[in-house]
Amino acid sequence: MSESSLFLQFLFSGLTAGAIYALVALGFCVVENSLRIVNFAQGDFLTLGGFFMTTFLLSLKIPWPLAALCSILAVGLCGYLLERIALRSAKTHDPLTLIFITIGASIFIRGLIKLFWGKNPRIFPPLITGEPIRLLGASLTRESLLILAVGFFCVTILHLFYRVSRSGKALRAVAYSPRAAALIGLPVGFLNSVSFFLAGALGAVAGLLIVPVTGVSFDTGVILGLKGYAASVLGGYGSFPGAIAGGLLLGVMEALVAGFISSGFRDVFAFALLFCVLAIKPSGLFGTHEEERV
Amino acid sequence: MKKCGLWGLVSIFLFLIFSGSLAAKEPIKIGAFFALSGPAAFIGTPTKLVAEMAVAEINKKGGINGRPLELVIGDTEGDPSKAVAIAKRFIYKDKVVAIIGPTRTGTGMAVKPIVEAARVPTIMTVGGDPVIMGGKFGSYRYVFKTPQRSSTAVRKIYQYLKKKGLTRIAILTATDGFGKDGRKWLKKLAPEYGLTIVAEEAFNPRDTDMTAQLAKVWKENPQALVAWTIGPAGAIVAKNVKQLGITAPLFQCHGLPDPKYIELAGPASEGNLMPSTKLMAWEQLPDTDPQKPVIAHFVHLYKEVYHYDRRFPINTHSGYAWDAIMILARALEKVGPDREKLREAIENTKGYVGISGVYNITPEDHNGLDESSMIIVKIVKGHWVLEDY
Repeated sequence: MSESSLFLQFLFSGLTAGAIYALVALGFCVVENSLRIVNFAQGDFLTLGGFFMTTFLLSLKIPWPLAALCSILAVGLCGYLLERIALRSAKTHDPLTLIFITIGASIFIRGLIKLFWGKNPRIFPPLITGEPIRLLGASLTRESLLILAVGFFCVTILHLFYRVSRSGKALRAVAYSPRAAALIGLPVGFLNSVSFFLAGALGAVAGLLIVPVTGVSFDTGVILGLKGYAASVLGGYGSFPGAIAGGLLLGVMEALVAGFISSGFRDVFAFALLFCVLAIKPSGLFGTHEEERV
Repeated sequence: MKKCGLWGLVSIFLFLIFSGSLAAKEPIKIGAFFALSGPAAFIGTPTKLVAEMAVAEINKKGGINGRPLELVIGDTEGDPSKAVAIAKRFIYKDKVVAIIGPTRTGTGMAVKPIVEAARVPTIMTVGGDPVIMGGKFGSYRYVFKTPQRSSTAVRKIYQYLKKKGLTRIAILTATDGFGKDGRKWLKKLAPEYGLTIVAEEAFNPRDTDMTAQLAKVWKENPQALVAWTIGPAGAIVAKNVKQLGITAPLFQCHGLPDPKYIELAGPASEGNLMPSTKLMAWEQLPDTDPQKPVIAHFVHLYKEVYHYDRRFPINTHSGYAWDAIMILARALEKVGPDREKLREAIENTKGYVGISGVYNITPEDHNGLDESSMIIVKIVKGHWVLEDY
């Protein structure tokens, strides 16, 4: 394998991992765009999506597309319930309290997963299979391509939804000022639930794509959640194009560090980068000013 | 009158129960702690079940010299500080005679100084070797372990490579404690078998893609790849190997022979080789193997009597807790529940034919298994095939 194809291989490796980080990051953004909090259960939505899929696809023998839809709706519902039951009953807008609740929810979800699905890792077959695509001596699996495509599809839909549709604008209004939104008659609580539904659904989508590649165990979402968070901070917390850019950038940089420097430094690098972004440019790559949000 | 008769019957019944239990001898308490939750729970939970099965079988046959065994169970959650707390509870509150477990090398190392200081014989089911290594790892007078040493598994792979005339190898190890232990032995023992390590890379066991590392080692044209990790990461390595079109055979470590591996890696597992206990291909063993009937009995109990197989299909680790309990029981039978004498008796275990091998424990070797306890298995069409005996 020549140097140039080696570089290309690192790039492909990074894009695959990065696309997943990006999907997780999108989930963070959705919540940021209504409740303005960090939802630390985002990674566990991914795990839940994977486990629901094993049940629907393998135990209940539902065909792939329908099982996927059921899983997405199921995890969306979990997100909805999380907001409706845990967050709203806290009766506060204090971000710190709400963030702590999401951390608690994350531990709770992992406990439930262990209870219902056990402690062993699981896996299900991917939607598309086939020989990997070879390009200049490097290879990229079809699954990776699918992950990338779905990532871009999701960001386009979300971008349009938030910028063009009335409901999307309403969600952003809630983010800007829950009080003012309530005053003009927007159902703030309901809109918050909707954004958590979306976050859950996006988490499930990420799970559906990554689990056929890596398998899923109850703690799969922990590290992916953290990486997704790092990616969304890198891209500018709350920005959808930023989430995609941040995810892919983080994935590629990690792979290059692992390839050219040392694989041991991969995670150190990711979190050092997060630290630097927070310290030097907290608004990230695509971060916008408050005034421009609505 | 009818009522009186009933009460009389009940009181006679109760009297019988209590007098019966008073007559039975006091049970011998053994502390047993495993990672029943946390990331290593998929290993810890079946280990506990097997330990309970072994104890139930012993008690069914009348216990140890008439006294039944009693397991006091603890959950380490794979957390060293919790393991230490439980070990102290076992020793000072429950006053156990001996301890079985824990599951992870990290928890084992945390518990080691505690049991050494309290002089409690402890048979661990951990993978890593430092628990039974002296020098900078502390003393190991009271600590034993039933799973093969990492170095034994490395030697098994290297013997096979030498036999096949393969000399240039690449190694890929996880960055956790288990992976580092493997890396150390892979590098240390290679010259002994005339092998050259042409490339070495590491990966985080939580990574989702290892193609970068694999592409890098493949560039050096190794004749074989050896990966050292447990859990789903091993399956990802196998998939990435096939994705990159790497033609050299892939060896996995002795922690992976498990039906789960084939499930996770799918078609990419085809042709993978690994050192394993004889459990994985026991039916293919020659009839002259002394372990074959012992394993057959164990598999029968596991599958048909206790029905553990549905929840935890048998893997290479399944027998370790059984062997730990049996070695302990043999020593107890010989010397009774005295910790000091027990330690000495365990240390003098000779020729115990177990599930994981024939144990010959010595003061220097607190494991007692060599390469002959292992086999090389190959995955052929989704089945475990005995490749080298």
